[in-house]
Amino acid sequence: MKRPGAAPAVPAAPGFRTALARLFTIQAAFTYERMLGVGFAFAAEPLLRALRRGGPGGDGAFRAALARQSGFFNAHPYLAALAVGAVARAEADGAPPERIERLRAALVGPLGSLGDRLIWAGWLPACAAVALLMVAFGARAWAVVVFLALYNVVHVWLRVWGLRQGWRAGVGVAGALAAPGLQRSLELVAPVAAMLVGAALPALLGWYPFRVRWEVPVAAGAAVLFAAGVRLLQGRATGLVTAALALAVVVGVGVLW
Amino acid sequence: MTVASVLAVIGVGALAGLDLVSVPQAMIGRPLVAGFLGGAVVGGPLAGLATGAVLELFAFETLPVGASRYPDWGPAAAAAGALAALRGGVWDPAWMAGIMVVALLAAWLGGLGLMLVRRLNAAQIRSREPALGRGDAGALAALVFGGIARDFVRAGILTGVTFAVGERVARHVAAGWRAPRELADVAVLGTALGVALLSAWRLFGQGAARRFLAVGTVAGVALAAGLLAW
Repeated sequence: MKRPGAAPAVPAAPGFRTALARLFTIQAAFTYERMLGVGFAFAAEPLLRALRRGGPGGDGAFRAALARQSGFFNAHPYLAALAVGAVARAEADGAPPERIERLRAALVGPLGSLGDRLIWAGWLPACAAVALLMVAFGARAWAVVVFLALYNVVHVWLRVWGLRQGWRAGVGVAGALAAPGLQRSLELVAPVAAMLVGAALPALLGWYPFRVRWEVPVAAGAAVLFAAGVRLLQGRATGLVTAALALAVVVGVGVLW
Repeated sequence: MTVASVLAVIGVGALAGLDLVSVPQAMIGRPLVAGFLGGAVVGGPLAGLATGAVLELFAFETLPVGASRYPDWGPAAAAAGALAALRGGVWDPAWMAGIMVVALLAAWLGGLGLMLVRRLNAAQIRSREPALGRGDAGALAALVFGGIARDFVRAGILTGVTFAVGERVARHVAAGWRAPRELADVAVLGTALGVALLSAWRLFGQGAARRFLAVGTVAGVALAAGLLAW
C-alpha cells in the first residue's frame, strides 16, 4: 500500500518516453508571443494524461492543465525538460493552478541563464574547437563523428536528467538547479572552452591549404585587423555581415584586377 | 550533377536547417557537419568538410539564444559543401571566395526566413486559440507538426537557392579571377579567423577564462608551427 504523501515513481513508458521524444520538438512552434509555450504543452501532454485516468477532476483537469501549459514559456530548450517534468508533476499532485503558474514563471530566468552559460557559451564552443583541432590534424570525417557524439552525450543527458529530476522534485525543483554536479560543470566549462577555442583558432593556420608560406602570417595579421575593425563597429554590423561585405569587395577586386 | 544529387543536397540542407530550432537541435546544422554532409552527397566529403570548417569559424559568433535573430548556417553550409565538392577535390581559392560570399549571405537570409516562419506559426496559433483554450491535444500536435513542416520547406528552399546562385557565382568568380589567388586565400581565412577571434574574446575575454584563452592561444600557435614544419 502506498504511504500517504509519498512521491509517485517516475512514470513508466510510454508516457515518460513520449514526453522525452517530444522535448526534441519543444521549439517547433516557436513564436514571439508564447515562445516555447505550445511545444512545452505538447511535451508535457503524455505526462498529464495521468490526470485523465482518474486524477482529481478527470478529463476536465487534464484539459485545464494542458491549456495552462500552452501559455508563454521561455528557457533554454534542453533545460526546459526540467520545467516540463516539474510542472507535470505539480499538476499530477493537484497543486493549485496559481502555484503552478508561479512555478513556470519562476523557472524561466534561471533555466535560460543556466543553459546559455552551460551550452551556448561553453559546451558548444568547446566541442566545435575539439572538432576544428581534429580537422587541423587530419582526422577527416572523425572530426564530425566526435563532434556530434561529444556534444550530444551532454545534450541528450540534460534532457533525460531534466525531465526525470523535474518529475521527481515537482514544485521543489529549484533544488535540482543547485545540484553540485551542475554547479561544478558551470565552473569548469568556460575555462575548458576558452583553452580549446584559444588552441583551435591559430592551429587552423597550419591546416589551411595555403599556396605559399608567406600567406600564413599575412592571414593571421588580416584576422587580427579584421577582428579589431568589427569591434570598432560596436555592434552596428555583425561579423557575418561585415565579412560578407569584405569578401564581396575582395571578389570584385579579384575579378576587376 | 544529377537531379538526384541536387535533391540530396536540398534534403541535407533542409534537415540541417530544421535542426537549428525545430527538431532536434543536435547540431547537425553546424557548418562543420552540414558542410561535410553536403559534400558527401555529391561525392566530395573532404571538400565539404574543409568548407564547413571555414564556415564554422564564422559561426562562432552565433549564440542561438531564444528570441534573438541569428543566422541559419545549416542550409548555407550544406550548399557550400556541395559546391566545394563540385570542384573535384581541387582547392581553388577564387572558387572558395565566391562560395563564401554566397554562403554568408544565405546564412544571414536564413535568419530572416526563421522570423517569417515564427510569424506564420503565430498566425496558426491565433487561428487555433479557442482549441488551445479548451486544452485540445490535437491542436497542439497540429501546431507543432505544422511548424516543423514550414521550417523544413524554408530550409529546403534556402538550400536550393543557395546552391543554384552559389554555383553561378563561384563559376564566374573562378573563371574571371585575375588577381593573385593568394589574395582570395588570405581574405577567406583572414575574415573567418577574425570573426572567430572576436567571438572568442567576447565569450572568454573577461574574468578567469581570459587566462585560459591566452594559454590555449599560445598552445595553438605552437601547434600551427608544428603543422607547418611537418
